[in-house]
Amino acid sequence: MSTLETTLGPSPHVDTPGGERYTDIINLARVKAAHVPFYTQREAVTADGNTAAALASLQMWRAIVYPGFPITPSTKWIETVAAKVGAQKGTPKRVKLLEAEHAVADYIAGACGACRDLVFITATSSVGLDHMTETTRSLGASGFGNAMIIDVYRATANYPLCIEGDPSDAMAHRDDGFIQVCSRGKQQIYDSIVQLPCLGMHPEVMTPTMPGYYGIKDSHRNAKFWVESDAAVHEFQDRWIHECDLPGTINGDTAMGNCVTSRHFQGFKVAQKRRIERALELLPQIGADFERTFGRPGLAYFDETGFDAGKPADVVVVGMGPDYGTFESVRDAWTAKNGTTTAGIAIRLINPFPREAVRKRLAGAKVVLVVNQAHHSGRGHLTLDVADALHGVDNPPRIVSAFCGMGGADVSESTWEVMLDEAKDAITTAPRQPYMVFHEGARL
Amino acid sequence: MRTLDPRAILEESALEVRGDGKAGGGLVLAFQSLAALFSSLPNTHVQEWPFFSSARRGANIRSFLRVSAKPIAVGCEVTRPVITLLMDEVAAKAQDFAEGVPHGGTFVINTRRTPQECAKHFHLSGRVMTVPGDDIGMQHLKHAIGNVSAYVAMTEAIGGLPMDDVVGVFLGQLKKRRIPDVLIERNREAMNATKAAIQVGVFDEARPGDHASTKFEGYGVLPIGAQTRLRLSQNNKTATYARSGFRLVFEDPTSACTGCSHCITNCPEGIIRWTPDAETGLKVHGADVSSFCKLCGECIEICPEKLFKEGKFEDHWVESEPQEARS
Repeated sequence: MSTLETTLGPSPHVDTPGGERYTDIINLARVKAAHVPFYTQREAVTADGNTAAALASLQMWRAIVYPGFPITPSTKWIETVAAKVGAQKGTPKRVKLLEAEHAVADYIAGACGACRDLVFITATSSVGLDHMTETTRSLGASGFGNAMIIDVYRATANYPLCIEGDPSDAMAHRDDGFIQVCSRGKQQIYDSIVQLPCLGMHPEVMTPTMPGYYGIKDSHRNAKFWVESDAAVHEFQDRWIHECDLPGTINGDTAMGNCVTSRHFQGFKVAQKRRIERALELLPQIGADFERTFGRPGLAYFDETGFDAGKPADVVVVGMGPDYGTFESVRDAWTAKNGTTTAGIAIRLINPFPREAVRKRLAGAKVVLVVNQAHHSGRGHLTLDVADALHGVDNPPRIVSAFCGMGGADVSESTWEVMLDEAKDAITTAPRQPYMVFHEGARL
Repeated sequence: MRTLDPRAILEESALEVRGDGKAGGGLVLAFQSLAALFSSLPNTHVQEWPFFSSARRGANIRSFLRVSAKPIAVGCEVTRPVITLLMDEVAAKAQDFAEGVPHGGTFVINTRRTPQECAKHFHLSGRVMTVPGDDIGMQHLKHAIGNVSAYVAMTEAIGGLPMDDVVGVFLGQLKKRRIPDVLIERNREAMNATKAAIQVGVFDEARPGDHASTKFEGYGVLPIGAQTRLRLSQNNKTATYARSGFRLVFEDPTSACTGCSHCITNCPEGIIRWTPDAETGLKVHGADVSSFCKLCGECIEICPEKLFKEGKFEDHWVESEPQEARS
């Protein structure tokens, strides 16, 4: 067993399954003390989603280097981080602009491996996330819960090019091994980013996180939200995040990404699946603590609309993102006009998919209208997840699978109404097609 | 006719506002400032965003704003705005800025024209407010940018907003953008000069079907992979990318055109109009500026007789040139 000799004598160390960890190499207390607060008190801010994400990223004392490469619609995240860091005297924080997204992901891998107790955050979109793929899979497999990639949803294709938001990038990366949480609205964006390191860095989770929000529809839309003081953010995060047991390459005798044979590879994957499933149990606990602390809803599997206790709705909508809000706004009028009760859930945790919770919420419904906004070769990512969740349920509801809003297309009130009409028809008649596409109040 | 009171609508439900302009014309700043202004009020929720796709400078853009005393859930675009802003008249060539505005709504237009002229020209029914924002911008900011005045006019249209707050919030937005103090002061002057320049009138000029929401008729046949035609395509109306506020003018009162054809061969859009001439071979008599002229200036540079020039859009407001096949 090796021992690190310094001028002060042998460094105290502990044995871990990942090698020795030297306990006096990194002084986290000094890192925390060096943090220069951006907000000393709670403030209402009017800004867009990228700014909300940037402010949350900046307030963490554990985040001191922000690697990035700009891509629409996430560019303003790094612009804001860079402007705020540049304007703040005495801050130890630095922004590292790299050559491309692949370089950013590699940088994060190296930095997360060097120090498991610091958080490394970047933001990207669409093909930017695609460019990172080789490394994102490694981040997911390496237990780097201190890695956070903010995904500003944008359609994934360059032919044709579309810079607006649909979640096809997030959906295409569900096997990267990240905890993926969708937010809608500026407050949720800010709050989710504050909470997610608590989940990702939990010793039983150790899984990177990918908070996301719709490009343009949320990234570029301004609204008022609350920003907590840096001190309050630190106090909350410090309740959940503790010094990592595993060594990093700076403070340990360890290596990352060693080659393993098939004899062990599957074992690593089983452990990876178990850790991400553990996130399912911990996420509501962190969300509840957040709500107790700040008085706003914290992380949750999904947002709920219109569920009366003990009385199942005829039609339950499953959607995600800001367009779900339009459903909320038309729901009362549509219900009154049609005499069909409706409720809905807006999925927030898209990976791991909260099957059991979704199953319970959809039980008793006659029809489930699943609204997909990302291109999928079949019935839709969300539809397949919902079908999986309903597997084995007695008298399962019929599933009406809808596509709309792809490429960030507007999902108008009339589009919601015609989708709900289709779901209502399915109460008595099987859906006419495995999936349908809707736009501007019409079924295409 | 009865006009809709934006303030009353705001108190009862949600005020929905939309704006049309061109990228680089300051529309986004005007709407962000409106959002910031309402955001500063207690118990007021706002939702504001632009729609510009992969627009470059000069392309049409839109901005949307919702204001409500209740949290705003709805996430779709604003299609029935009570107030609409036309920041740049050229934008109205490609987009009906008044689409979906209910009878009695408010139309704010950045123009030298009177409300009556605009109501007739655009077939508007409701309250029409005009402000010569580009002129005010030119006078105070040395730049024909009308967003300062358009913003002030919008606040007047909504009503009940103290001028000090209106000015303070806008200047605050400029400070955030690190605009030099001297320019901020000029913006203040421009804002203070705006109020007296606003003209208002109520008119009923819309005909049945005018500004009705267009019904989505499906996507039709799309080329695989968004394969596009060449830029010279008749479908790509490049005039919408022209420099805002100006258009190409051809004047040859003394028949000086020598038929050299330089303008014809150098025009990238092929829109120079000419007729055969027994003496010179051909005579140029203008260009089809209705749809394709993006004011690249090639003809202005190349013409040895200096027969082409840029003219102010205001001076050539009436659409007189029909769209024709190009040379």
